[in-house]
Amino acid sequence: MQNAPAAAMPAVAGLAHATARPRHGGGLKRRRELILIWVFLLPSLVVFFLYRILPLLWNVMLSFQDFSLFGKTGWIGIQHYRDMLEDEVFWTSLWNTLLYIASAPVGIVLALAIALMVNAEVRGRNVYRTIVFLSYPLMTVAVGIIWRWMYDEKVGLFNYVLRTLGIIDTPLPFLQSFEWALPSILLANVWQILGFYMIILLAGLQNIPQNLYEAASIDGASATQQLFRITLPLLRPSIFLAFVIGVMTSFTSFDLVYVMTQGGPAHSSELLVTYIYKNAFELSKVDYAAALTVVQFLLLVALTWAGNRISGGEAGAVKTE
Amino acid sequence: MTTTWLRLIGHRFVLIPFCLALTAAAWNGYVSLHDGGLVRGVVLGPGGAAVAGATVSMMEKNFTTNSDRGSTRTRADGSFEFTNNRSHNILLRAEVAGVGRSEQITVRLYFRSQNVTLDAPLTIKLDPPRNG
Amino acid sequence: MTANPHRPRRAAARRKHHWSLHVGLLAVSFFMLVPFYWVLKTSLTGENIFVYPPKLLPNDPHPFYYVDVWYLIPFARYLANSAIVSALAITANVVFNAMAAYALTKHFRGRGLIITLLLSCMMIPFQTTIVPAYLITGKLGLLNSYLGMALPTFSTIVCIFVYKASFDAVPKSLIDAARIDGLSELQVIMKIMIPLSASAVATNVILSFIWSWNNFMWPLIIVRDPNMQTLPLGLSRFLTYHENTTGALYAFCVMVLLPGILLFLMAQREFIRGLTSGATKG
Repeated sequence: MQNAPAAAMPAVAGLAHATARPRHGGGLKRRRELILIWVFLLPSLVVFFLYRILPLLWNVMLSFQDFSLFGKTGWIGIQHYRDMLEDEVFWTSLWNTLLYIASAPVGIVLALAIALMVNAEVRGRNVYRTIVFLSYPLMTVAVGIIWRWMYDEKVGLFNYVLRTLGIIDTPLPFLQSFEWALPSILLANVWQILGFYMIILLAGLQNIPQNLYEAASIDGASATQQLFRITLPLLRPSIFLAFVIGVMTSFTSFDLVYVMTQGGPAHSSELLVTYIYKNAFELSKVDYAAALTVVQFLLLVALTWAGNRISGGEAGAVKTE
Repeated sequence: MTTTWLRLIGHRFVLIPFCLALTAAAWNGYVSLHDGGLVRGVVLGPGGAAVAGATVSMMEKNFTTNSDRGSTRTRADGSFEFTNNRSHNILLRAEVAGVGRSEQITVRLYFRSQNVTLDAPLTIKLDPPRNG
Repeated sequence: MTANPHRPRRAAARRKHHWSLHVGLLAVSFFMLVPFYWVLKTSLTGENIFVYPPKLLPNDPHPFYYVDVWYLIPFARYLANSAIVSALAITANVVFNAMAAYALTKHFRGRGLIITLLLSCMMIPFQTTIVPAYLITGKLGLLNSYLGMALPTFSTIVCIFVYKASFDAVPKSLIDAARIDGLSELQVIMKIMIPLSASAVATNVILSFIWSWNNFMWPLIIVRDPNMQTLPLGLSRFLTYHENTTGALYAFCVMVLLPGILLFLMAQREFIRGLTSGATKG
């Protein structure tokens, strides 16, 4: 059977390297197959169209409108974007989201250390791996409630430890203070996502061929040199993937903020996503929320693209939810 | 063929839910056998003697409110019995009008209307003498 | 193997290496487990809610807060709602994703386009679609309904590609032989593809369960009727009404976390495989 050259596909993540085969069989059989294919694709495509593509486009449209559920909806051009530029809360939430993104590398470094430790031939590594990953599949609302209470000003664990160690004298109102609200949420987020980072980095670590290390040892390379010359460069795709996930989390971390601080004392822990929610569903400013969403999405795309370039052009978008 | 079935049943995805369902069924069976709503106890005076004719009142407790659920009187040997407890968290207090009352004790049960016999008696403390 | 004069020294160095690794991993485990311990302790004893300093060891544990949660809030109702929505989501996920993946294993015009489309849809997180999604669901008349809650999660792109990798791994000879035997397309799927992809199905079931079970924002947006609330909504509502005044809040947390933990412990392999399928190409 002839093998036609593989159909040219936009180069994304090196998917199925299948070969296209010339079709024998009558037109009717092929047509039936085509119908089957499209019928099979239809439900998923409908879901994605309704809940991914259409919302994306509708957001853009809404951002230029003065939307009203009952009355007339009119076009007002870029008024919402002008309002956004003068909106204090927008800039605060944008800044907080960027801080959130900046905490991702911290988490990744920690997870890398843990992954390296777990990857070494220690007894019980599966137990350690389970313990670290255990926090990820939990309901974020419950995680928020647990951490909220550990941060409690009067009876919380953190205040107890800090006061016993003598680091502070009076209790710190972590979640009610301007400076500590967002960092407290960041710590809870790192706790929850550490396992996910670790799993990705572990998968990457286990893909590095052992003989590279053996050859390096024979050549006399120390452990540190091996780490920086072999491990880290070969882990770049995994690190990039973890970073993309970290960026996604900063744009989607609604549950934690909602439960722990509701946006914090005077918006000090407000994220873009919580501000969008408030505008759309508490203030009924649906069109302004849509404009905010457009900005948020553009930022997300820009950051992912930038991270892609920095990490050497390996596309590795993975959905996280 | 039997080995395939055995392997299927022994698989953790089947075994664990099955064990959980079995435990739930056993617990429900136990509950239905013991949920008569009986609350039994005994009321003693300050000296340890049984108090007959004391009024024991029962209240039902939830997160924010306590609601009154009736009362009964103790028999000659100081014992009392409620037969209509519908709750899992009740408050009991014994009182002899004009003489004294006991502490309000909280009884927490494992399930609603669980039959329970109190270990500790309700001890009546005499009212402090009135001034004037 | 020639005798290595350095071996005893290296073995000793490795053993010392092991000790420090264990210490490090134990410290990490401690940090990861402290919140679990703390919430479990408070749900069993009700301490540390009003009293300072907090006790580190449980004093007089009792399960009565769990009884409170079961009876005093509509826990069974929330549980049923969550279960129904999750069941809908899982069923639809398994069926639709497998169908789409099977279609993608074939060759047709537009296949590359569809694949690119799906990959780019992965870049659109749910949180950037909430406003129009709410309007669309409203227009469909599905607000405040089980179907409305489950609909956005009816298909997930990660799982489509997990299935596709699994289907692609089925040897062509097997399928050709089946075709020669005269099996129809549907029979090929049901008798050959699916049984050989059992692990992909398991991965899909577990991932979609976790995502739909833990989903908070979407039900928060579209549910208006307190009777339709799912567990995360019920938990959040309990927090709003009772704040920090009772150990039952933490018992509620534990009861809510248990299914997730149990499922994770049962199905770690599938879970991890599903999450890393993006890390390993294709």
